[in-house]
Amino acid sequence: MEHMVDLDEVDDEASTIVASPQRTGFLPIVTNWFDRVFVGIYLFVALELFWMRFLEQSIPLSVCHVLAIVLGVLIVWRG
Amino acid sequence: MRSNRVGWLMLAPTIAILGIFGIVPFLYVLYVAFHQWNPFGANPHMIYNGADNFRRLVFDNEFLTSIAFTLKFAFFAVVSEVILGYLLAQLFMREFPGRGLFRTIHTLPLIVAPIVVGSVWRLMTTPSIGIIPYLLKSWFGYDLNIGRDATMAFALTVIMDIWHWTPLVTLTLLAALVSLPKEPFEQAQIDGANRWQIFWHVTLPMIRPAILATVFIRLMDALRTVDEVWMLTGGGPGAATRYLGLHIWKIVFPKTDYGYGSATSIIVLYLTLVMCWLLYVALVARRDQKRPS
Repeated sequence: MEHMVDLDEVDDEASTIVASPQRTGFLPIVTNWFDRVFVGIYLFVALELFWMRFLEQSIPLSVCHVLAIVLGVLIVWRG
Repeated sequence: MRSNRVGWLMLAPTIAILGIFGIVPFLYVLYVAFHQWNPFGANPHMIYNGADNFRRLVFDNEFLTSIAFTLKFAFFAVVSEVILGYLLAQLFMREFPGRGLFRTIHTLPLIVAPIVVGSVWRLMTTPSIGIIPYLLKSWFGYDLNIGRDATMAFALTVIMDIWHWTPLVTLTLLAALVSLPKEPFEQAQIDGANRWQIFWHVTLPMIRPAILATVFIRLMDALRTVDEVWMLTGGGPGAATRYLGLHIWKIVFPKTDYGYGSATSIIVLYLTLVMCWLLYVALVARRDQKRPS
């Protein structure tokens, strides 16, 4: 019985938890870091698929990797 | 710290189940997607082939066509279900004789397994024995044959989905409507608002979370529909109703091309997430952003 949880104490602690910081960057919505990583991964995949379909015959896919990673970093950093 | 430990302990079963049944299979499918693997082929071993499966995917016309068909199917089915579900929910808000019985009958399709729904609709639409072709022929002189008519086959898959899943939308929206407070409606009536204004400015904003949740659930379901359509049309005629779920099924089971099938599944998951996220941004995030704090 020594390890009973004091619910009031738990509530107090829960109320002090700070939500992950949100901000507005160049993306058209308010985002937190998870949203930006999410958008970065989306665009990474979309760019890779688009490149494979239309550009890979003339420009190697490694160029796309670099561009997609730069874009992802930019979105997480400034998005 | 102690309460943190208790919190994690309480979450542990959920996290374990999510990990075992959600995350581990996803990671395995992702792993297989980068391999060529046909266990019943000449070489049954898994061979790493980089992004070749995805490269093959973006040039696969059958896959690209099935995306278009699936999006069309999902759009017509989900929009119809939400509109019809809302109207029925409004109907069930009113008192009329036999309301309880009608509500029970209306909910029955929900408890029928999709494969059974497909079988029943198949029987009802088979030329020469089905009741629907018979009635259409005798009443309108229309010769329904979904084995030949691609448009009708598509329309019937949508109608079947509406028949099966509208009760879910009705129940969700009914729950939302029942839980609404009366004061805003009374206030709007005092202010002289008409029915349309009350619907647009009071009801709709208040049940928006329920509508959104329903749309997300139905959209995700519609994008992965397999068994009903498989029973009704088998993906035909031609590839007119070969939706994404059916396309993946054909790659994975009859062709046993697990690597390519996994890559296709990953892209379908990707498309579903993108669509839901875009919908969320368009309907929730941007609106919340505009709202003054």
